[in-house]
Amino acid sequence: MAKELEQPIGPGGALADELKRRQEEAGADYEINLESLSQWQLAWRKFRKHKLALIGVGIILFFVGVALIGPIFLPYSFSNIARPDQIVYAGRPPSLAHPFGETGGLQRDVLTLVINGARTSLLIGFSSMAIGVLIGTVVGSISGYLGGIVDNLLMRIVDVMLSLPTLFVILVVAQFFKNQRDNVWSIILVFGVFSWMGVSRLVRSLFLSIREREFVEAAKAVGVRDRRIIFRHILPNALSPIVVSATLLIAGNIITEAAVSFLGFGVNPINPTWGNILNNARTFLLVGNWWWPAFPGIAIILTVMAVNFVGDGLRDAFDPRTRA
Amino acid sequence: MAKYTIRRVIQAIPVLFLISVVTYAIMLAAPGGPQQRFAQNPKMTNEQRAKFIHAWGLDQPIPIQYGRWMGILNPDAEGIAALVGPKGLPNFLPSGLSGATNGLLHGDLGYSIDSGNAVGTTIAKAALPTLILAGFALILWIGIAILMGVLAAVRRYSFFDQATTVFAYIGFAMPTFWLGLMLIYLFGVNLHWLPVSGMIETRNSPPFGTDKYWAYLGDNPIKALTDVGRHLILPVITLVVVNIAGDSRFVRASMLEALSQDYVRTAKAKGLAGRSVTFKHALRNALLPVVTNIGLELPFLFSGALITETIFAWPGIGKLTIDATNNFDYTILMGVLFISAVTVVLANLLADVLYAFVDPRIKY
Repeated sequence: MAKELEQPIGPGGALADELKRRQEEAGADYEINLESLSQWQLAWRKFRKHKLALIGVGIILFFVGVALIGPIFLPYSFSNIARPDQIVYAGRPPSLAHPFGETGGLQRDVLTLVINGARTSLLIGFSSMAIGVLIGTVVGSISGYLGGIVDNLLMRIVDVMLSLPTLFVILVVAQFFKNQRDNVWSIILVFGVFSWMGVSRLVRSLFLSIREREFVEAAKAVGVRDRRIIFRHILPNALSPIVVSATLLIAGNIITEAAVSFLGFGVNPINPTWGNILNNARTFLLVGNWWWPAFPGIAIILTVMAVNFVGDGLRDAFDPRTRA
Repeated sequence: MAKYTIRRVIQAIPVLFLISVVTYAIMLAAPGGPQQRFAQNPKMTNEQRAKFIHAWGLDQPIPIQYGRWMGILNPDAEGIAALVGPKGLPNFLPSGLSGATNGLLHGDLGYSIDSGNAVGTTIAKAALPTLILAGFALILWIGIAILMGVLAAVRRYSFFDQATTVFAYIGFAMPTFWLGLMLIYLFGVNLHWLPVSGMIETRNSPPFGTDKYWAYLGDNPIKALTDVGRHLILPVITLVVVNIAGDSRFVRASMLEALSQDYVRTAKAKGLAGRSVTFKHALRNALLPVVTNIGLELPFLFSGALITETIFAWPGIGKLTIDATNNFDYTILMGVLFISAVTVVLANLLADVLYAFVDPRIKY
């Protein structure tokens, strides 16, 4: 405050400069700012100030980068296995040559496994989220917009799906694809198909409230077709909660996939994930090999935390009650 | 209230019916079906395989198989006559009227195709260890979550609040199996303090659940119970840590909401002691949504500890499910899936009824 008073507001150019400076300081909420911002620009301004969310974005970008180009820089390949005469049963603890240590049994480099695992784990997390959100949005929109019998029917289906213990069902259904050699996309599909229910309930409730708003009424009154009302008038207004719940889905799917693959029912070992590279880890844990399970787990925790940070940041950014 | 409960129970029936159809469809969508488990067995002749398929009714059309499993159709009859039970009345009526004993409607979940034991008894046997583990974990984690949430809300932005926030973020992101593995390494392998698998020390006591075990328990109760207790510690810690994260946040949010209400300000303005306002005015109201949340978590008592049970070789429902999945023992899986779904529906019902009970403003 004191600093502001010290600066005299001079005539002419100085005043304009001062106004401009104040505008920049005050941002979107200050009325002097005549530049109008779209909803997304506003959200970005708030998101940018959320430190944890930015850290989250950084971590996710780092892991995506590692997943995409990491394997190129590694001295060992994923299929690298020690020569039989060099095998130490319990593996070797972290050292300079192997910063994350070596696994028990086949004695593979844990760092190589973790980096290769990032690829499939992230692919599964993001793709199954996309499928889940797509199904959930379609079902929720139809249910919320049409109402009546269709709504009732769809919501009973959601009730049924929600009553089933998801983890059990995923275990059983994932088992169907066990004989496929490369079953990553089957697993993605299974996770997508069993994770849309929450989104559909959310979208339905959003549609129920938005379709009663004046601008939808106005659109209907001038004879806009249903499809256009859904895609141009309602859906864009429902987008921000959907984006937030999508981040939750990514986090949940990464953890669940790791668990299912860890139990040996998920992705086959030819495609390493953070879960299935731990499949045998339990046996070797008993002879003291802690570094094998530790590092992939830390990778999962970091990724899921980062995704949750971004989710929190997005929620605050889209919330009209918070200030930029 | 009674009327509302009855209406909800009646509404649950079609949902339960749909659940049975969906679970059955999932099982039968399996490539190869239940006989798949013999496909690689060189000792089995085609004749024996055909016999197995016929004995289990797997050669019948799917609707008929479902009807038999459900108890609508009489398994001893063919065609339209199967709708009639042994006593000449429709088969789906209660056993006393129709004389039928097969199928879900008569309380029969069938037999395990792996062991041949009745599914109902197998599940009941596995349910006891699960109830012990999940029950202890549930009580502990709800207690701690409420305590943590309330303290964090009362001292908002304090060091304690921030510490619980960090803990919640990490706990939320931590896979159950990873925490279990790390605890096994730390307390079992490294420090040798606690046992890392099973429910009892098999060297010293008879297998759990047998008559011999109950006799052993009667003879030295303290020894037997401390043994189970020692085996409980690690799995319970695993479940508690992973689950506290979300719940303590929930309690905190609910408590903050209650603390910002007008009646709390009024109570403070009247000059009541801070503690009395917090616990009498705010906490009681903050716990309303928490009660619903707890109700929704109750099905966990039956099904939730799948991963933890597998890691700690706890002989409960989770382990039963994993074993059944490995063997494709579809009758057991059907039983587990259906019973879990029923507990979810019942818990939802209970949560709604409980909510109406604790909140007098709600009328049905």
